Amino acid sequence: MEFLDEFFNYLSSVSPSKLVRVFWFFFFFEFVRFFLVDFTTVLLWKMTAVFRKKRVKEGRNLFWAEKPFVSIIVPGKNEGKHIYKLAVSLKEQTYQNFELIVVDDGSDDDTRAICNSLKRNGLIDIFLSNDVRGGKASAANLGLRYATGKFIIHMDADCSYDRDAVENILVPFYYDDKVGAVGGDVQVRNYKQSLCATLQAIEYTDTISVGRISQSQLGIYRIISGAFGAFRKEALQSVGGWDIGPGLDGDITVKIRKLGYQIHFEPTAICQTNVPVTFNALIRQRLRWDKSLIRFRLRKHSDVFFPNESFRISNFVSFVENITYSLVLNFKWYFYVIDMVLNFTSRLVFIIPMNFLLYTVNNYFKFIVFSLFRERKNVGAEYFMLYMPLMALYFGYFLRLVRTYAYLQELFFRRSYEDSWNPEKSSRQAKALRL
Amino acid sequence: MNRITENIQVVDHKINYSNLVFYVIDTTNSILNIDHTMGYDALILDASDPEYAHLVLRKIRGHYNPEFYLKPVFLLNFKEIKDPVLNKMHDGIMTSYDQIPQMAETAKRIFIKTTQLDNQLVPSFEGQTVKKVLNYMYTRDIRTLKPVVDLNSAIGYTYPELSVNFTSTEEPQVLEILEWADREGLIWPDFFERVYLCNNCSSGSLSYREVCPHCNSANSKSEDLVHHFPCAYIGPISDFQNNIDSSLNCPKCNKTLRHIGIDYDKPSVIHHCNNCDQNYQDAFIKSKCLSCEDDIDVKYLVPKNVNIYKLTRKGRSAATSGFLSSSQEVDDIFGTINMPTFRIMLHYELERLKELPAQKTSLALLHLENIFELYNKSGKKGERRLLEELVAVIRENIKSSDVIAFESSSTLYLMLTNTAKENAEQKLKNLSSLTENLVKKNFNNFKVNLLYKVSMLDTGKKAEVQLQELSKEFFA
Ligand SMILES: [Zn+2]
Ligand SMILES: [Zn+2]
Ligand SMILES: [Zn+2]
Repeated sequence: MEFLDEFFNYLSSVSPSKLVRVFWFFFFFEFVRFFLVDFTTVLLWKMTAVFRKKRVKEGRNLFWAEKPFVSIIVPGKNEGKHIYKLAVSLKEQTYQNFELIVVDDGSDDDTRAICNSLKRNGLIDIFLSNDVRGGKASAANLGLRYATGKFIIHMDADCSYDRDAVENILVPFYYDDKVGAVGGDVQVRNYKQSLCATLQAIEYTDTISVGRISQSQLGIYRIISGAFGAFRKEALQSVGGWDIGPGLDGDITVKIRKLGYQIHFEPTAICQTNVPVTFNALIRQRLRWDKSLIRFRLRKHSDVFFPNESFRISNFVSFVENITYSLVLNFKWYFYVIDMVLNFTSRLVFIIPMNFLLYTVNNYFKFIVFSLFRERKNVGAEYFMLYMPLMALYFGYFLRLVRTYAYLQELFFRRSYEDSWNPEKSSRQAKALRL
Repeated sequence: MNRITENIQVVDHKINYSNLVFYVIDTTNSILNIDHTMGYDALILDASDPEYAHLVLRKIRGHYNPEFYLKPVFLLNFKEIKDPVLNKMHDGIMTSYDQIPQMAETAKRIFIKTTQLDNQLVPSFEGQTVKKVLNYMYTRDIRTLKPVVDLNSAIGYTYPELSVNFTSTEEPQVLEILEWADREGLIWPDFFERVYLCNNCSSGSLSYREVCPHCNSANSKSEDLVHHFPCAYIGPISDFQNNIDSSLNCPKCNKTLRHIGIDYDKPSVIHHCNNCDQNYQDAFIKSKCLSCEDDIDVKYLVPKNVNIYKLTRKGRSAATSGFLSSSQEVDDIFGTINMPTFRIMLHYELERLKELPAQKTSLALLHLENIFELYNKSGKKGERRLLEELVAVIRENIKSSDVIAFESSSTLYLMLTNTAKENAEQKLKNLSSLTENLVKKNFNNFKVNLLYKVSMLDTGKKAEVQLQELSKEFFA
């Protein structure tokens, strides 16, 4: 009680300018980028929906008039148990003019037998199998090599898709010729499985779905999730397909961007995935994702920062935004902590809860407002309300620490080349050639 | 006249020696008819023309009459060739007529054994065939039926002692007969080899090949898939080849492939179908039947064991004391009961008649003399269909209290209650003409020979005895 009194006394005593001085990190960066910018663009997007509606409808009509042949590529290792469910559920799609290409990347279980029998029963059109594992990129490339569709849809075996997901992810190609790739909305299916999964579900709703609408609007949408992405085949072919991962989803998006294509996020093309259930597994996944920022943005595609023939302002902005908000701010936060510890030592007892309060209020507000924009939810927003306060910890400390560790590892040791996600033979080559 | 030694002379194909008359068959004899050799004790077959000798020997051993098939046959001028019939179905090889005395010894041994044979007819095709083989084996002291590789046989193997009764395309039936004899407990199998037979025509002449799973064509081109590690490109090796030199260049990153395992590998193979242009990795293995030309998925081929069969104790004694078939195969034909039940019902009927002396019940035996011909033509399935139709016709024309039982696939018993012998005979006469017409219509003009015998139940005799008497009267 006494603490609360003091806390409110402190709050009422500080002037607005002092408040900004103390909570500069929140006000200048987080609030501006992840609330104001997102909010404004999403609001604009919502308000302009009326104008888009006609274009989208025309696009849809054009799409149905042409009925393009599409290749769905599903690469993976030991995914046999998921493939059956996926193949059967694809029969439910509103759009059926596709071939299903399953690529088995050196499975050592009964995947081959399952897939061969699915193929015999007409549930898979092309089944390609490598005796030796070559990594996810090569598996996807093998599928691409034998794909005959005009568009390529990349799917993950353990995801499931809304009935109209295939149709919806293809329509954007028909209302904008410049669109080279479309990303679908990935939602968390197992959000109830553990606290870790619930927090990720909030994160996906918040930053991934909404963040991507705004990124797509701003033209800086960067990563088409491997779980659900559609590409013009000629675009994929011009960039030679996928390069060695990890982070190949972001990489392929950047490569297509560099060709001058637009990348579109389609919130109505919905896919459900299972996220890591334990924090350990989540840490492993995020370390891999975060390392790829350094490897691909800062190293492989560093040319987007320099004026050359393929220079495009949107690519530049996209990268700068990404680097700023991920890499620079990540380290800047530590400056903020040091700043507070050195200059406001006596006030820390108030500053820490106040930060927590700011973030939490912001999170609630954002979540509720953005929930109104989301057209289809796999779960009502109320389920997550109870967990919202934890998000400040999840975003502010957990993800930040993981990210810091990943950046340092990759910046100084290039640890992504040792990731067992790729077969060793590929990593060795990639490292030697500085890819 | 051809003088050989003091005592042995060939006069007009005949040799008299030690009370035996040998007849010499050579190419001057017609192959078509061997009936004129009937009266001779033993035959000498000139095998200098093996094809001719083969046909004659097959005709003799495949004959239904024991006078022929058990006759001692000696080969003259025989050179070992790959012919299971010639190799296994003779009783001795002679290089000259000087060996007549030894051959005479052999022939006499066979005669003695022949006189010990039981001559009772076994009332089924399988039974008759097996009995014939058992007779032959007994007179020749043969204890096992060994399969021999034979390219002419539809299944690749032949059991000369049994197969001689069938043409080479009928060889799958030989396996069925052996299985039957095995079930009857006459022979005992020892695994020798397994064959896979066409599920349509039972032929074993199959040609296996890998075919396109989309169109079944074997016209395909196979290529290695190549994975270039640095850029993750993967495609068939032709993507990497050029017209100028033998180097491999990556179509994605233009680098030259250097060293397998270091910068590239070949993770698998892909086939391209030249017929339908599809690509596939899991080729189907199909097997083309060279007999009926069906293309069969190998998983539908019918596996059969080709066994070495040893005579069991029952089998060894069957030649001299006969055997009774347990005929399980025809037990389950709709409208019939099995023999043990038939015997019991017969017993009860006798008990009933004892109390009602005015009533008369007849017992009839019905025999389909030539059902084996149908069996030969349309196999087990055809035979079965005929029996089913036969039972249906009979059932329509008898009372529901009357019962039918198969003794074997060619013999059945009827118990006609409250029917005097004359009425029963009239009924059977009608039935047989009805059946003959039906069979003629449904089985491609096949003319079945139906024979029957009727007796009246005698309350003074046991059921089993009355059955045996009727059978004896009929088959005698
Ligand atoms: Zn390459
Ligand atoms: Zn084909
Ligand atoms: Zn066949």
